[in-house]
Amino acid sequence: MNQKENNFEELQQLLKLKQQELPPPGYFDDFSGQVIARIRAGEAGVSQAYAENLQSDAPWVMNFLRLFETRPGLIGGFAASLCLLLVLGVIYAEHSEVATKDFLTVSEPSTAAASPMASIGAPALVAASESSGIVASTNPVTSLQPVATLFAQPATPSLFQSVSFASPGQ
Amino acid sequence: MIMSEPAPIADANTPPGMLEGDLVRLARQGDLAAYDELVKRYQERIYATIYHMTSNHEDANDLAQDSFIKAYQALKSFKGGSTFYTWLYRIAVNKTINFLKQRKNKHHYSLNDIDFNTENNPDLVALISDKTPHREAGLTELQKTLNEALMKLSEPHRMVVVLHDVQGQSHEEIAEIMDCNIGTVRSRLFYARQQLQGYLSEYAKPT
Repeated sequence: MNQKENNFEELQQLLKLKQQELPPPGYFDDFSGQVIARIRAGEAGVSQAYAENLQSDAPWVMNFLRLFETRPGLIGGFAASLCLLLVLGVIYAEHSEVATKDFLTVSEPSTAAASPMASIGAPALVAASESSGIVASTNPVTSLQPVATLFAQPATPSLFQSVSFASPGQ
Repeated sequence: MIMSEPAPIADANTPPGMLEGDLVRLARQGDLAAYDELVKRYQERIYATIYHMTSNHEDANDLAQDSFIKAYQALKSFKGGSTFYTWLYRIAVNKTINFLKQRKNKHHYSLNDIDFNTENNPDLVALISDKTPHREAGLTELQKTLNEALMKLSEPHRMVVVLHDVQGQSHEEIAEIMDCNIGTVRSRLFYARQQLQGYLSEYAKPT
């Protein structure tokens, strides 16, 4: 191999001339700066492309964001109103829980009397259904069905009335 | 415009003596100051390799910058199986070979000036003035002939010559950069040198 290397000694010396080919003075002073600038521009370009996609897909979002850019004070106002909405939502949820509990206890006589909602129309409904043998329920489908057993007639009075189709002359 | 986190500012105070591994780790986290330091460390070697492959300063500039940018973008995929330097070289080499394949045989020379001190290099002066039939040929003429001869080689052969005979890389390093075995590197180098000797017979004769 050394013999082969020696055969190319002059060529290798010639090729060393290539090492002396140098870029203009000061070329490398700003090289890394240009690379970093292009990397940053690329990253900014990605953000720009995302913004452009958003603009085409949901322009109202972009208009909304632009409003914040032109009037920064709105950011505070928007945040405050979001907090207010959250607090109101929590308070409303607590109240509605109490109301739901009251509504669910309508069929219990002791609580029905105490509940203001139940005192309006529920007692009359309960009384009417008890008199006709229909069990009151919140379920609209089954509420009108008489309670029956599989092996006997229903304990409640029949909802059907027999009619006669005999002609008057008979 | 959507607000985003500000990019880290390139800090000139990043210790130049910091280990390559630490710089790579910081750069992977988005630290551009660390990556700036990595670019500074390898910019000359990467540029030189590409320049000797293309014989064109502008192309070398663009390709070298593109290589560093691509390396930054691909840093997350860098597993550390080789050194960052080798990995970076591989990106630059592949990018350059792809560029040259696309360009085919359309060579546009844009050669850098030869360093003035070269004219005082006794070995080269002797080579030009004493051993060649064209004694009047100046360095510029020799430079042009040399570059033309190199451009006649295929890209893999030229790359091996550039990396070994111009840049002084070892066979092992070249094998790693070019993702081939050492035997292939040696055979390519031998073949490329033979070819070059034929093209430059006026200047370089077998001893």
